[in-house]
Formats: sequence, C-alpha cells, structure tokens
Amino acid sequence: MTHTSPVARTPLPRRTPYSGGVSIAPVELEKPDSAQELARDVPWVTIVWNDPINTMSYVTYVFQSYFGYPRSKAEKLMRDVHQKGRAVVSTGSREEMERDTEAMHEFGLWATFRKDD
Amino acid sequence: MRQPFKSVRAGIQVNLDQQERDIVVQLLGQLDDLLDDGLAASTDPLATLVGMSGMDPDAPPPQPPDDPALARLLPDGNRDDPQAATEYRRLTEFGLRARKRSGARLAAAALSRPEPVLLATDEGLALLKSFTDVRLVLGERLELRTDEDAEKLHERLWAGDGDPSWLATASIYELLTSWQEYLVAAVAKKR
Repeated sequence: MTHTSPVARTPLPRRTPYSGGVSIAPVELEKPDSAQELARDVPWVTIVWNDPINTMSYVTYVFQSYFGYPRSKAEKLMRDVHQKGRAVVSTGSREEMERDTEAMHEFGLWATFRKDD
Repeated sequence: MRQPFKSVRAGIQVNLDQQERDIVVQLLGQLDDLLDDGLAASTDPLATLVGMSGMDPDAPPPQPPDDPALARLLPDGNRDDPQAATEYRRLTEFGLRARKRSGARLAAAALSRPEPVLLATDEGLALLKSFTDVRLVLGERLELRTDEDAEKLHERLWAGDGDPSWLATASIYELLTSWQEYLVAAVAKKR
C-alpha cells in the first residue's frame, strides 16, 4: 500500500479527474495557504485567573492532580495566578483547551481558553 | 489540635461532630438546589450521558446565569469571543451542573453515615469540590471581589463588626475555609 510502482508514479493520461465518487486513488490534499497553516499552528491556551476565594493549597493541588504537574511547577503557576492575576496553565488544540477549561470549572477555578498570541 | 479531616489507611477520617456535619450537609443541599435549573428531569438520557443540553439548532443560545453566585459556579469559558463563550456554554453547562450536583449529593450522603465517618477517595474529592463551590457562593454573597476584601472579612469578623446575618455567613465561610485546608491535605495524600 505504501509502495507505489515507478509506472504508477507518473499520472496516467487516461486518468479522469476526481469526480466526487468513491476512489481508491491516493487522496491529494490541497495544500493550505500559509495563513491557514499558520492559524493551525498557533496553539490555544487555558488561563486561570486569580480570585479571592480559592486557597493557595487548593489551587496547587488542582494543578498537580489534574495536569499531573510536579509540585514545583504547580506552585509556580499558583504564585503567578496569585501575584500576576493570571497564568497560562496549559497549551494545545482548541478542543483540548475547552476540555481543560471545563475541568477547571468543575474544580471551581476561574478559567478561560483563547488562541495564544 | 483536632484535625477535621485526616488521611488514614482506610480513607479520609472525618472528625467533625454531628452538628458540624449537619451544617455541611445542609449547605450541600442548598448547593444542589441552586444548581437545579429544572431541566434535568425532562432531558433525554443520552444528552445527560454526553453532558449536553441538546443539539436543537433552533434552541436559544444559553445565557450566563443572572444570579452572580451561580454565574461564579458556571463562568464564561471565553472572555474575548462572545460566540465562543456561548458555544462553550452550550456544550458544557448541562454536564457541569449535573456533575456538581451529583458530587454534592455523594458527599452529603457520605457525611450522613453513622460515626465513625470515613470517606472513600472519590467521596473526599467530591466533598473538596463541593466545599469550593459552597465557598464560591458564600464569597459572592459576601461580595468578596479582591484579595483585600478577603483580608478585610477576616478582620471584621474577629472584631464582630457587622449585622448578625453578615456575621453568621462570614463565620460559616471562614469555618469552611479552615476545614478545607485539612481536606485538601488529606485528599492530596490519597492521590
């Protein structure tokens, strides 16, 4: 399947253009233009915002238990939230960041997702 | 000093007396009621399972709750893009409400068992999340908006500066805050 014969490598002249029907021919993906490609490469982020109610120990616990971060990283993020007002706690696709935001909301942390800039 | 929650070999030991546990159970019941939007019973089981309130494209876009305390439990997921925030709410709010409510009920049932009360790990985690939700609601009612507000609350409470209803709410809030510190430590040991 992954090996093509030298003959097949050159498109056959009688081959008809893709008509929308089912075909076993290799799918030729349209190459995205650079702007689209760039947009896809820009990761999304989950941000946790400071609030006066959640305790430092709880926020650290959430970062450790949900993200699996080591204690030192969890504590640094917690301090960033507390002192700078917010911290980026995870990076990834939009779907992943929506999932992380939902998990933070389930823990009662104040989180949002957005495209990184 | 007495540890209200303590990690032991068999689980998380609850060292609150009957009256203290009654207060927590009562608050958990209020949390459950607050999160009840009256929709759960009428929604189909599949939607409940996947945590979505429905795929009806004609349904009006979900709005953030009017009650600021409830809005704090179910906040917007996106601050820059209202459409993304609406879409996030459509996908997640129903499931979040359901999971927060079932957690509150699980924790309340566990605390209602006869002594000695011992929590399994999932019950301890459910109680920890519910403690947080109750504190978020009380904190909103007490109008805690900044870290300074939280510090002032502490001072005012110790000075007895406030009307009886404010003092009662503030002291419950402070009590839960101190208990939660022990619960975090106990749950973290069970990871």
